[in-house]
Amino acid sequence: MESQHILQAFDRDLEGIQAMVMRMGGMVEAAILEAGQALEARDDDLAEKVRAGDKAIDALEEKIAEEASRLIALRAPTASDLRIVLSVMKIAASLERVGDYAKNMAKRANVLGQMPVIPGAGGSLRRMSKTVVQMLSDALDAYNTRDAALAEDVRNRDRDVDQMYNALFREFLTHMMEDPRNITACMHLHFIAKNIERMGDHATTIAEQVMYLVTGVRPEENRPKAETVTVIGVEGK
Amino acid sequence: MDDMRLAEKAVNAAETKIAARNVQVYYGDSHAIKDVDIDIADRTVTAFIGPSGCGKSTFLRCLNRMNDTIPICRVEGDILLDGEDIYDKRVDPVQLRARIGMVFQKPNPFPKSIYENVAYGPKIHGLARNKAELDGIVESSLRKAALWNEAKDRLSEPGTGLSGGQQQRLCIARAIATSPEVLLMDEPCSALDPIATAQVEELIDELRGQFSVVIVTHSMQQAARVSQRTAFFHLGNLVEFGETGQIFTNPRDPRTESYITGRIG
Repeated sequence: MESQHILQAFDRDLEGIQAMVMRMGGMVEAAILEAGQALEARDDDLAEKVRAGDKAIDALEEKIAEEASRLIALRAPTASDLRIVLSVMKIAASLERVGDYAKNMAKRANVLGQMPVIPGAGGSLRRMSKTVVQMLSDALDAYNTRDAALAEDVRNRDRDVDQMYNALFREFLTHMMEDPRNITACMHLHFIAKNIERMGDHATTIAEQVMYLVTGVRPEENRPKAETVTVIGVEGK
Repeated sequence: MDDMRLAEKAVNAAETKIAARNVQVYYGDSHAIKDVDIDIADRTVTAFIGPSGCGKSTFLRCLNRMNDTIPICRVEGDILLDGEDIYDKRVDPVQLRARIGMVFQKPNPFPKSIYENVAYGPKIHGLARNKAELDGIVESSLRKAALWNEAKDRLSEPGTGLSGGQQQRLCIARAIATSPEVLLMDEPCSALDPIATAQVEELIDELRGQFSVVIVTHSMQQAARVSQRTAFFHLGNLVEFGETGQIFTNPRDPRTESYITGRIG
């Protein structure tokens, strides 16, 4: 961290909100991993645990927003201090969304437990979610160590997640065309894949916040992207 | 964000009112201002910030030759008002100070009536040909200083009988009565309560439409609120000078960052 403030309570406040974000990050990472595991192993209890756990994540986000607005009102932060507070608020908002996606994934895992197994889907989705968890955890590490290079790397890795999503999209399409009885399950699986892809976007946003925090400049919108399914036509091409 | 960009564009378009080049100030042997180069834009509020003793007030006082009154003080380099050297031998400092007015930290009205306080400058500079004109200048100055409504029924009462905030606005009215081109303010709000401070800040923002304002302040929030350009002084050096929004969100020099965020530099 930078040198300390003359007013030490200011440092304590800044450290406080940052510690809360890190705790929130840990909770969200666990939720994604457990949701993925519940999906693959058809573990209803684990899925239920993830769904229930989202309340704590939401509560922590509210607490962070409250503390951040207090800090703005009482300490009038400027320059890098201001960037810390702004990035903390944005990262918390992103993490909260990712938590919601994990919860939604767990909900669908419960439903999918009652349906025919789509071979390979559970494993693929769990791998995809592991990739996203790694991005999230690296983005938060980059935050802690103020490592803009690592953040940039995370940002570039979103392409891998996009590619995994494209592949799954085609796979689910094939299953649905082969046997219409798979459609319901595949629709749920597709939403899960889409949600994981969105988690990757949020991890990217967090990485961009780290770059802003460290350099004071928001990165330009020219990162590599590979999501192509939005332009796929009726023939599946 | 857009608004800040607009303000910056407006300031960038404004012409330079005062240009300082290689300014050095010495008090006896001590070198108080080192190599300061700065362009003060017209119709813009420029704030000077920095820790005590950094030279910001000294530099401000150079801009209307207030330092001439200090025998051991020596100023080198060029300070140009509209391209003309204000330290030229032919320049009369008293005339200069009518063009570059000043407001001080503590309200210092003359021990005279409110009317006389404002009328004094225009009178000695011969800006009014008759009583009616002088009345007009007094009224418009008090109006510009947002004091007219409070003072119009007591113009003959002593200026010292006003409240602190009113006295400071009276001093501002006095300073703008000579229609200056630049107004220098040295900590104009440090003796005022928050309401009076807000009134003076609102006034500064209005005055910006007519001339250039340079304000020295210890309150960084005040610099952030009222100025479009901020200059950070440290140990006699001008460390950083830029658009106020940039200085307070993303300063380029680590010394500026330490100072404005309240860290041990």
